[in-house]
Amino acid sequence: MSKDEHDHRHCLELFEKLSEYLDNELDEVACKDIEKHIKECVPCFVCLQTLKRTVDLCKQAENRMVPEDFSKKLKEVLQNMPKTPPAG
Amino acid sequence: MTAPKRANRKEIKDKDFELIRAINAGQFDRFPDLVKRYEQKLYNFSLRMCRDAADAEDTVQETFINVFRYLKDFRFETKFKNWLYRVAASTCIKKRRRSKFAPQRELSLDEFYPQSYTEVPHQVPDWAQMPLDKLLSNELLDKINEAIFTLPEKYRLVIVLRDIEGFSTAETAQILNLSDANVKVRLHRARLFLRDRLKGYFENE
Repeated sequence: MSKDEHDHRHCLELFEKLSEYLDNELDEVACKDIEKHIKECVPCFVCLQTLKRTVDLCKQAENRMVPEDFSKKLKEVLQNMPKTPPAG
Repeated sequence: MTAPKRANRKEIKDKDFELIRAINAGQFDRFPDLVKRYEQKLYNFSLRMCRDAADAEDTVQETFINVFRYLKDFRFETKFKNWLYRVAASTCIKKRRRSKFAPQRELSLDEFYPQSYTEVPHQVPDWAQMPLDKLLSNELLDKINEAIFTLPEKYRLVIVLRDIEGFSTAETAQILNLSDANVKVRLHRARLFLRDRLKGYFENE
């Protein structure tokens, strides 16, 4: 698509809403507006796809195991807490 | 005339309530069961917020000590997990305030919006369209963790709660005492920040 075929003033407005769109937090009208726009605007489509992939990748962030020593220490600390409920 | 408030309150179902009631009824020996359920999650959350392993351990310990102390005050009006993360998030924030470094900066939308039409890519890059399992590597996972660490704390808290821990917008707002709108704004900027980091990584690969 050439620069002249498309009015990009709308892009910024939609750019702000792309996360809400990915999270299904927009109403039907706003969703349709974005869907219509990205069909016509390649840069916005690219932006949406790269943002979506970022979210997917973020969800893959790895978890570490709790160090055993710490787990043991935590258990001991909590075991030694006074067992009576605090006043008030 | 005042209508009973309870009528409007949605009943919350939570797998932890039974255990909490037992602990609050005096079965303190069951507290380790509660710790076991959340220790791993909380450790990773704290690690993402503190970065330093020793600080993360301190945060987890401090959080569970507070939970132990104040569990009697838990009112069963929210899921226990949400309450736990509220305690953990506030512990992280306090810890950061005590630390000398860790600059806090605002991310503005302008930073991420292309300034000219020629700047933007005109086709979806490979990394955004190839199958996820083909893309994932240990190096990439390290890069994602690294990028999350470089986010200013207020944005990191939101993206970690929303996209990694899986809390909803409303739950995140409740945990951090923010409005839903504020959570959405911070999440969007955090995602755009990470997207730029990933873009940089793939372009220089």
